[in-house]
Amino acid sequence: MSEKKNNQVSRRTFLNYTLTGVGGFMGAAMVAPMVGMAVDPLLQADGEGDFVYVMDEDEITEEPQRKTFTIDQEDGWYESQAERVAWIFRDGNGDILALSPICTHLGCIVDWGVQDDHPDQFYCPCHDGRYDKDGVNIPGTPPTEPLHVYEQRVDDGRLYLGRANPR
Amino acid sequence: MKWMYQDVQAFQNAKEYIDTAVIPLVPYTFKGEVDIKKFAFQSEVMNIFMSQIEKQLKGRVFLLPSYYYIKTDSLEPHYQQLNETVDHLHNHQFKHVLLFSFDKQWRKFMKDLHGELVWLPAMKEQDLNQVETQQVIQSHIGDIEDLIKEQWKS
Repeated sequence: MSEKKNNQVSRRTFLNYTLTGVGGFMGAAMVAPMVGMAVDPLLQADGEGDFVYVMDEDEITEEPQRKTFTIDQEDGWYESQAERVAWIFRDGNGDILALSPICTHLGCIVDWGVQDDHPDQFYCPCHDGRYDKDGVNIPGTPPTEPLHVYEQRVDDGRLYLGRANPR
Repeated sequence: MKWMYQDVQAFQNAKEYIDTAVIPLVPYTFKGEVDIKKFAFQSEVMNIFMSQIEKQLKGRVFLLPSYYYIKTDSLEPHYQQLNETVDHLHNHQFKHVLLFSFDKQWRKFMKDLHGELVWLPAMKEQDLNQVETQQVIQSHIGDIEDLIKEQWKS
């Protein structure tokens, strides 16, 4: 009886093996995507930003208009939707210009035409930084470089914006 | 600026420009069916307020970690501890220290607090994902921003 037992796989052992095997597979199936997700940001190169539709070309005026749009943001480990703001207008040459509202001094949000003394300028409320309409910093105010400009693409009369770059 | 590695480095390079510290005062409790929900909601709203303010005024405002306390009848033990924090900030070049709270009990200590208490009326619990709620919150944020700019002029 005992000899027979040694040579054959008992029901209990068989079940143990099977369950461990199946369990292992199930565990691996669960863990694999998690590991993938956790390591993903490390593997992915910082690709070209996507372009997002913001407004129609014929709505763009010479007066800067504030437009918001949403982008998919990868912030280290987290993926989220982030809101972006752009001041969009046609400059003196009739070209479309889309400016980032982030002050190049220390990152506050600038506003257009809020100051009575300088109605045609961007103004930063934190340290009175100012920029002319084209986003060029006014000498003597804290910012040291112009407002960043969004990459743009016009397709079929629709304006798409990408990432904001320094000039 | 936030209490984060990257921001703190930026802060060190631009100390003279960042003269305003903001501390949210946030109560919590596990006592009472109503309070537990109320305080959790208020804490969530406060987080939204503070992170938006920090985003708008990043270059001059330093958002500190929240001051959390268990909601009790008296804030007596807390205000002294808070004053120590405020004194510390004043001693480290923060000219304005603003304390934000929905808890109206703090108003009793308004005179004794070394920082500027800004009491905000609490919102009723509602769905934060709804467009109307977001609009209300957005307008509150605008008000808070104006209040901080007023403080700078004083």
